[in-house]
Amino acid sequence: MNITRRRGAIALFITLGVCLVGLLVTLNIGWIHLLHKRQLALLVGGIVLFGVLIAGVVLNTIFLVREVRRNERQDSFLNAVTHELKTPIASIRLYLETLQRRPVTEEKRQEFYRIMLSDSGRLLATVEQVLKAGEASHRKEKDIHRVLIDMEPLVAECIVITRQRHHLADDAIVLRDVPGAVSLKVMGSPEDLRTAVLNLLDNAVKYSGGKVHVVCELGISGYNRVVLSVTDAGIGVAAKDLKNIFKRFYRAQDVTLRQVKGTGLGLFIVRSIARQHGGTATAESAGHGKGTTMRIELPLAGTGGSSASS
Amino acid sequence: MTQPLIAVVEDEEHIAEGLIFNLEAEGYRTHHEADGDAALAWLLSAKEPVAAVVLDVMLPGKDGFAIVRALREAHQYTPVLLLTARGRPEDVLEGIEAGADDYLTKPFDLAILLVRLKGLLRRMAWHAPAEGATAAPAEPKDEYHFAGRTICFDALEIVAPHGSARLTLMEADLLRYLVEREGKIVSRKEILEQVWRVHEDTDTRAIDNFIVRLRRYIEDDAAKPRFLQTVRGVGYRFIASGER
Repeated sequence: MNITRRRGAIALFITLGVCLVGLLVTLNIGWIHLLHKRQLALLVGGIVLFGVLIAGVVLNTIFLVREVRRNERQDSFLNAVTHELKTPIASIRLYLETLQRRPVTEEKRQEFYRIMLSDSGRLLATVEQVLKAGEASHRKEKDIHRVLIDMEPLVAECIVITRQRHHLADDAIVLRDVPGAVSLKVMGSPEDLRTAVLNLLDNAVKYSGGKVHVVCELGISGYNRVVLSVTDAGIGVAAKDLKNIFKRFYRAQDVTLRQVKGTGLGLFIVRSIARQHGGTATAESAGHGKGTTMRIELPLAGTGGSSASS
Repeated sequence: MTQPLIAVVEDEEHIAEGLIFNLEAEGYRTHHEADGDAALAWLLSAKEPVAAVVLDVMLPGKDGFAIVRALREAHQYTPVLLLTARGRPEDVLEGIEAGADDYLTKPFDLAILLVRLKGLLRRMAWHAPAEGATAAPAEPKDEYHFAGRTICFDALEIVAPHGSARLTLMEADLLRYLVEREGKIVSRKEILEQVWRVHEDTDTRAIDNFIVRLRRYIEDDAAKPRFLQTVRGVGYRFIASGER
């Protein structure tokens, strides 16, 4: 209901903006007709003034529409985060109250402890993601404390963590051998890069649909960039969303319809981290049900890139 | 006597497991569904009567609101207790409007959940038609008559000259509240707080929709209400005689 109401408001303001522009253009033409024989200065002045006014109204309308869109995204983010925060709390509370209220066998008790621990982990992960997203949007490139990092062990470690987190078999996520067995080093913050890779892997698993099969590849592109690609065989991304999914709070329509849970922050964090390291993050997908390839490119250390000189 | 069967529709595995453990410890039988579409299909074709449904709102497939709505459209009046993480009053009201009988926001208090559920089952037990020899001694009927119409609070039914209709528990509660205060003005805020226990300033449009539905049951012409009158800027008033 809220959404339709807001849609109505957008339509109204867009119509208003268009009407105003139309009115101004009409007035402008009228002005030219009235004055073109009489006073040149007045004519030129008027045209300039109208031009400024028209530009102002057009800009204003564009700004308004964008702002409304952003607001909408923020709204859905709040919904998602509310859910992601409250669900584990509800679960932990439920089990605590159960333990307090009823006699429970030792075996059940241990199971309840395990569930509560996993829920507190989930809670912490959400909180950290929100905090990291806040941090990512403020931090500057120069604020990062950089060290030399070998990408292969870092990615391998992240794969092990993700497998454990989602209780997956060893062959569910694989890392292909690096072509030529070269060592791929970048200058950066290990903690940030781990966050980015973990986010990519988490996404690949989360949007895999049924069976998880994720392939990671590391390589060099253009002699001076390290490329990590993470390919899943999952639900895919619509062409129009390939750029949008990196925006803060953005969640693809079909993902929200399927009620896959998430905050819309994961890929935003990935892109922020990649950019702060002088790199990029992109997505590729052949469409629905055809899987997705996520790619991050980072400058290779020691090849005269910007990071090597600093 | 078999134990009442409670359906738990919840996709969060941990919460579902915890709920089922507790419901079974209370002596209920349970059935669990994790997907919205599957849950609706199961509820519509259940082999035995389901005593109550504990229903999550955010589900894969159909969401909780859609499920309640579909159940009510199929004339199934199984009591539904909604569980929602989105605790905003608008969400709660949407659930009530969809036809849910009660709601709790996550994180919920286990004791309260069990009490509310018991309340729903008890109220339904009153409303169930007496069966065979075990029929309870005839209690005075909980009915209200006015202007040729009868509201049967125990049968959750309203009989009017132009037909009869089933009420959800929430609708019955609201009607009872209005009827008990016959002739007095009841504000929207009062309805929110007293009838539905929503304590927050909120958009009260949902109540208006609710009243519109009640009017459809009892008024001859819902566009010109005689019994359920709107008092502009304040709230509503029930007039049994139907006079202005």
